[in-house]
Amino acid sequence: MNKSKGVIKINISSDALNRVGVFFERNGFAIVAAILSVISVLSFMFYFQNGLSLAYNDARSHLDIGRRVVEGLKPGFAQLGSVWLPLTHLLMVLTIWNDFMWHSGLAGTIWSMFGFVLTGLIIYKFLEKIGVKMTGRLIGVGIFASNLNVLYLQSTAMTELTLVAAMTAGAYYLMLWFKDDKVVDLVKSAFWIMLSTLVRYDGWLLLVLASMMIVFYVWKKNGYKQAEGKLILFITLAGLGIVLWFLWNLLIFGDPLYFAFGPYSARTQQTQLEAAGVLSTKGDWFFSLKVYFYALAYNSNAFLALMGLVGAVALWFSGNIRRGVRFATFVLLAPLFFNILALYLGHSVLFIQGLSGDTWFNARYGVMLMPTIAIFVGYLIHYVSKLRPVIIGLILFVLFFQFSSGDAVTIDDARVGSSQKNVAEVSGWLAQNAAGKDGFVLISAASHDAIIFSSGMPMKKFIHEGTGDYWKEATTLPDHWARWIVMRTHDDNDSVWSFVSRTPGFERYDLVDSYPFADIYQLRDEYLDILNTEPILENQD
Amino acid sequence: MDKIKILQLIPAILFILFCAAILILGLRGIPGNPNKDALNTSQWKPNEPTESAPFELSPERGRFALTYSLVEDKSFQFSVPLAKFTTPDVAYVNGGYVSLFNPGVSFLAIPGYVIGREFGLSQVGAFSTAALFALLNIIFVRLIAIRLGSNPLAASIGALVFAFASPAFAYAATLYQHHISTFLILLGIYALIRWNNLWSVALIWFLIAFSVVVDNPNIFFMIPLGVFALARIIWIEKEKFKLKINFNILGFLTLLAVIPPIVLFLWFNQASTGNPFQLPGTLQSVEAIDEKGLPTQSEISKLLNLQKTYHKEKTAVGFFKTRNLLNGFYIHFISPDRGIVWFTPVILLSILGFAYLYKLNRSAANLILATIGFNIILYSLWGDPWGGWAFGSRYLIPSYALGGIGLSLALTKFRKNYLFGIIFIVLVSYSVWVNVLGAITSDTNPPQAQVLSLEEVSGKEEKFTYERNFDLLKKNKSKSFIFQRYASQYLTAQEYHQMMTALVIAVTLSLMVSLFFLKNEQK
Repeated sequence: MNKSKGVIKINISSDALNRVGVFFERNGFAIVAAILSVISVLSFMFYFQNGLSLAYNDARSHLDIGRRVVEGLKPGFAQLGSVWLPLTHLLMVLTIWNDFMWHSGLAGTIWSMFGFVLTGLIIYKFLEKIGVKMTGRLIGVGIFASNLNVLYLQSTAMTELTLVAAMTAGAYYLMLWFKDDKVVDLVKSAFWIMLSTLVRYDGWLLLVLASMMIVFYVWKKNGYKQAEGKLILFITLAGLGIVLWFLWNLLIFGDPLYFAFGPYSARTQQTQLEAAGVLSTKGDWFFSLKVYFYALAYNSNAFLALMGLVGAVALWFSGNIRRGVRFATFVLLAPLFFNILALYLGHSVLFIQGLSGDTWFNARYGVMLMPTIAIFVGYLIHYVSKLRPVIIGLILFVLFFQFSSGDAVTIDDARVGSSQKNVAEVSGWLAQNAAGKDGFVLISAASHDAIIFSSGMPMKKFIHEGTGDYWKEATTLPDHWARWIVMRTHDDNDSVWSFVSRTPGFERYDLVDSYPFADIYQLRDEYLDILNTEPILENQD
Repeated sequence: MDKIKILQLIPAILFILFCAAILILGLRGIPGNPNKDALNTSQWKPNEPTESAPFELSPERGRFALTYSLVEDKSFQFSVPLAKFTTPDVAYVNGGYVSLFNPGVSFLAIPGYVIGREFGLSQVGAFSTAALFALLNIIFVRLIAIRLGSNPLAASIGALVFAFASPAFAYAATLYQHHISTFLILLGIYALIRWNNLWSVALIWFLIAFSVVVDNPNIFFMIPLGVFALARIIWIEKEKFKLKINFNILGFLTLLAVIPPIVLFLWFNQASTGNPFQLPGTLQSVEAIDEKGLPTQSEISKLLNLQKTYHKEKTAVGFFKTRNLLNGFYIHFISPDRGIVWFTPVILLSILGFAYLYKLNRSAANLILATIGFNIILYSLWGDPWGGWAFGSRYLIPSYALGGIGLSLALTKFRKNYLFGIIFIVLVSYSVWVNVLGAITSDTNPPQAQVLSLEEVSGKEEKFTYERNFDLLKKNKSKSFIFQRYASQYLTAQEYHQMMTALVIAVTLSLMVSLFFLKNEQK
């Protein structure tokens, strides 16, 4: 350090700088992993403490499904059910036997947190492999890790972060294969894509898109035979999850397409919505595009989405990156294609407040492209070195307001949209009046999983659709099996009402309380003698 | 100064005089020194936008009211008639009414008000403050463009485009904050590129602090200036075998320059509300005032039976949300009621100039682009990107000024390119036509989103583009002081508009032709 004319100068030798640079290059991955882990834990603690980590109705349902595998009147893997893909529930099984892990949501949240950290690391590696220097890599990871919607979802037992991690990993290894032509990368890509196909149906389109890209590229480069061979290699592993899922549906429900057309499928739900006139995206490409575009812009913020687009164009036309690698990055757009297609076909529903009604529903689907945007923006930072200070300054400016306003559309979706159900009144009544007493609660898990979760009572207290003979008996002779019945009166969509209301035994119940989401019926005391209160139908087939 | 230099200055002086003349032709107002009771009459505060009264909207009323209160009543608090004049941009605090606006514009309007009052034109005098700053902005756009490498003729065209081919013209004709805010930015940029000493750094800090006295959001788009000023105090030099981080100790003393504006602002807040840290814009606004002089609900609220059951606390940054960005970008760029493509498409050609600037002076390019970026993003985050009832996207006036600089450079670079020239001429002609229309008619264009509700109330079609202004023109309505006082005896409003448009386009074309035939590029 030296002084001259009021200026203090601190000299740093080039050697020292080089050593620092080398240190970060060598340990950057570990440093990023550590920082992401800390962010993940702190975010979870923040949202857990203010009660938001379990705000999503779906999060509670996911946790219940995992719990039913290990505890209930009919535990077993059959409780994984249909419609929702099983991987996240299987992962929960490892810890959800513990009551705290179940009721805190941690059994599911730890996998979201893991997905968050893994995705951040993949973004880092992805950018590294396409030649982006440290600044661009850190910006890319930072964009993903600082997104409030990502931070919130990674603190919940939802499936988005697990899916995003699997898809991004699949895309990463696919890019590596395009880059280095090593079979092991193709296999790894297939593995991760296979996992994604078992998390959400978005993974299925990723599989199709990746397969098409592999065939197209290899056919053009090496001819049909090679393309066929690579496709078979890839799809044997990548498609295994889908094959197993069809098999599962066939074995458990007798119909390989039960998940698609069964009574609890998304198609059934969408049919009801269409009948109600609220499935406005079906058959309308433009509106489907618009709705998803809004979801994307709200989740990622429009400025970053725009920068991502610019970065994507810069990458696709870059002369510094091999054509195959540039082509491979198209796979990062799979969530975009999937969601627009699903909206157009009516297989998905997404409400954006002000655009398609006055509420939010599934607005979180827009977060699926965050890793994609992060990668493209990271590349942009690397590519436009002259504009780098300006772009980084603007990103920081936007992030400042994101945090100061706490603006996260996924939280609105969870708290005020159709994704939330204020079941506290019903579950609170059950906790107070049913918890310490003998007797089962007859309830539809398909309609009221959130009540089951929030009541705090063990799963074996409840008779629901998945309890086999208990369900059959209770819906025929409710007064012999259910001391309490929770259902939506006069709503035939509630399977308990649709069965029980037509039984003579229903007359033996009193309506003890009525709430917006469900009513509670209690068996009159004079009939308690004939009530079964023990799980006597064990060892069911 | 030798004769050659004086001769070289003559075109610049003539240019400035021309711009001043056009600004005066657009300046809005009517003769008179209204007192506080007169201000609430329809002569000064219109019941309908078609009326000739100059105080169309509450932003200009609010700022004028504070100026009036300071000069006439010697008070920071408004009398009841003045408060009625200013609703809803007034708050009720500690038994008195205070402005919701920061005081900078009102302070700066005092000289114009006082001088105007001497001639029986207090309102026109106050409004001329904006015109004066617009003229200063024209000068600085030109100066900065030349310093960055623009040909002087091209710089003049760029300044003309900013001044008369963008919504900046409409807000040079009335008392808003935009030209003052823009002046602070331009002066700061000029100081940074013109001088490399600590005085210029001190000036930057002063301007940043004073920008808050003018308007709260200014602090955000002065950030790039602050960063560049900081780089004059702390900077890094790369040498062959080492990196030098330099700290200029004296440079830190320049931060003291923020003290006077901050003290001024704190003093104003203390005098108004009794709390030096209470930002005016965070106070709860008063909808209406009853016969007893106390706050009450407005008639519309009563009709709609709106209950004030929930008072959402206003915070300094609470108005800005990231989910507003998408709509904000749409409103500022594309929407028919405010979009750049409709109101000043010529300014988009500045992008070519900025690309050129990166080769000439990367540092200046970063500074200017960052300021534009902060301006656009800030007001896209804003919950009301329309700017209420307005003409064009008024919040982007600072960006139009910087765009004028970029355009100057584009014109310098492509002055011999026929395609560029043709496109420029078409766009500038259209842009001038639109913005002269706005300047001499009205700023009261509603947002498109409000039009349906408006039509229910009014029972007629309500336009939301500059067609609304054209309708006023066809009805021979112009708020220009010169038109109302003098020219209306000889010209219709449409003719007045055509004359002004023709003048500006003619001068622009003349400059373009001169630029085209210029033999050597001036460095």
